Amino acid sequence: MQILEAQTLKKSYPVEGQAVLAVRDVSLNIAAGEVLAFLGPNGAGKTTTIKMIAGLILPDAGWVRIAGRNPHQDAKALRSLGAVLEGNRNLYWRLTAAENLEYFGVLRGLSRRVARQRGQTLLERFELTEKRKTVVQALSRGMQQKLAIAVALIHDPQLLLLDEPTLGLDVEATQTVKTLVREIAAEGRAILLTTHQLDIAEELSDRVAIINQGKIVAEEPTAELIRQFSGTAYTVELEAELDGDRLQKIEAVGAVVQAHTVIVRDPALLYHVLDILKPLPLVKVEKDRANLTDIFLTLTQAHPGLPPDLND
Amino acid sequence: MTELFLAELRRSWIQLLRYSTEAIAGIVITTVVFYGLFLSAQYMAGPNLQFGERLDSVIIGYVLWTLALFIMTDIAGNLQREAQTGTLEQLFISPYSATQVFLTRAIASLSIQLTLLAGILGTIMLLTGSRLSFPLAVLPAFITVLLGAYGLAFAMGSLSLLLKQVQQLLGIFQFALLFLLAVPSESWTGSLKLLALLLPMAPGAGLLRQVMAQGQPLQPIPLLLAMVNGALYLTFGLVMFRLAERETKRRGKLGGY
Repeated sequence: MQILEAQTLKKSYPVEGQAVLAVRDVSLNIAAGEVLAFLGPNGAGKTTTIKMIAGLILPDAGWVRIAGRNPHQDAKALRSLGAVLEGNRNLYWRLTAAENLEYFGVLRGLSRRVARQRGQTLLERFELTEKRKTVVQALSRGMQQKLAIAVALIHDPQLLLLDEPTLGLDVEATQTVKTLVREIAAEGRAILLTTHQLDIAEELSDRVAIINQGKIVAEEPTAELIRQFSGTAYTVELEAELDGDRLQKIEAVGAVVQAHTVIVRDPALLYHVLDILKPLPLVKVEKDRANLTDIFLTLTQAHPGLPPDLND
Repeated sequence: MTELFLAELRRSWIQLLRYSTEAIAGIVITTVVFYGLFLSAQYMAGPNLQFGERLDSVIIGYVLWTLALFIMTDIAGNLQREAQTGTLEQLFISPYSATQVFLTRAIASLSIQLTLLAGILGTIMLLTGSRLSFPLAVLPAFITVLLGAYGLAFAMGSLSLLLKQVQQLLGIFQFALLFLLAVPSESWTGSLKLLALLLPMAPGAGLLRQVMAQGQPLQPIPLLLAMVNGALYLTFGLVMFRLAERETKRRGKLGGY
C-alpha cells in the first residue's frame, strides 16, 4: 500500500531576476514499512522536495498525496504525517520532554488525555522516562533528537519525514537513532530519510533516490543499485606471501597478485585459483562491492550541483 | 479547538512562570517609564497641581498602549522566534490551520497579558494616587480595542511572515500606537471626528476614557461604531495573514530567517 505518492513536482525560485528550477519533475512513492533514502548534494533540491511533501512549500506543478489525501488542499492529510526537519530544532526548549509531547499531541489533533498516554508510552520506548521532567535545553543532543522523533510520532502518523536525523550525534546516539528508525519502519510506517551519512542510508534504506540539480538521477532498491555498480571480480586475501610455484600458476591463469592479495577478474576462475592456493591459510574471499558513497559520487559528479546560494 | 486552547494556555503559562524574571522585568520597566514621565510632568507643573481626571485619561491611554504593544509583539515576535528556533514549521503541519493556531494562541496569551497589565495598572495607580473606576460597562469598550489590536497584530504577523525582520517596523509602529490610544480622539469635532471613527482602536479607547476617567455612561451608538471598527480591523488582519501564509509557502520561505 502506497503511503506517499508525489508526482512530477516542480518548483522554481527567482535568482537574480531569473527563475531557476530547484526541483524538476520529481516523483517519489513510498509504501508502508518502507524506508526511502533521499540523497543529493547540497542545493540539489532535497529540502524543497520534502517541504513540498509536507505542505510547507507550494509546488509550481505536480501533486502530493499522503495516505490518499493532498496536504495542500486537505488538512486531514497532515494527520498522517510526522516530520523531524533540520536537526533537533523542532521542540520548545523551555518545556520539558513530557510537556512537549503533550503540546504537540494536541496540536496534531489528539485529546490531552490521549496525548499524555501516548507521550508516556513513547518516553518509555525511547528510554527518556527519567528525563520526562527535564527542560529540552538541558537534554543532550542525542536525547533532544530522540525526543524530536518521539514528538513526530505522537499522533501515530503513517508517513515520517526525517531530515538529517543523525546530524551532529555521537556514535552511541547515532546507533540508537538507527535502531529506532528500523523499528518504526517495521511497525508499517513509510519513512523518507535524508542524510549525508551514506553508510547510514545504505544500512537503513530499502530504496534509494538520488537527486541532483533538482532531478532524480537514480531510484532503485538499495541492494539492486549496489549490485548494478559492483564489479564481478573477486579479491582473495592470504595470510602470507605466495611461493614462486603458486605465483607462476596463478599468473598463468590471468589473475593478478599484489603482495598478500590475489585479484581474480573472471569469476569463472575463482575455484581454479582457490585450488592452486589450497591449503594456504586465507584471511578472506570477497566479491567487489560498490558502496553507496561510490555510487553517489559517480552519479552526482557527472552533473555538478546548482549554485550553493540557492535554497536547498 | 477547546483542547488546543487549553494546551496553548498551559504552554504559555508554563513558559512565563518558568522564566518569570522576563515578565517581572517587563512590568518594572513599563511602570518605571510611566512614573518617570509622571514625575517630569509634575515637576514642570509645580507641586500643588492636581491632574485629576486628566491623569486618569493618560493612564488609560498608557496602559492600553502597553497592552496593544504586548499583543502586537506577541504574534509577530512569536513568528520570528519560532522560525529561529525551528518550531514554526511544526505549527504549519498541524491539521489545524495556521490562522486557527495563532488566533487560539493569541487568545490564550491574553490571559497573561491581562495579568501583567493588572500588575502595571495597580502599581501606577499606587504610585500616582489615581483612582480609576472599573464599572462593568468598561468590558464591551475594552473588547472593541482588543479586536482592533488583534487585527493589527495579525497584519504585523503577515509582514513578519513575508519580510522576516520586522523589529524596526515594530519600533516605529509603537509610536503610531501611542498616538492611536493616548490622543483624546473622542473630543475631536467635524471631519476629524469621522477620521477618529476610522482609526484602529481609537473609538474604543475614547469610550474607555469616557467611562473610566470621566464617569460617563456607555452610549450604544458609539459602542456599536467601535465594535464595527474592531471587527473590520480583525477581519482585515486575519485575511492578510491567510494571504501572507499562502504567499510565503509559494516563495518557499516559511522556515527561513
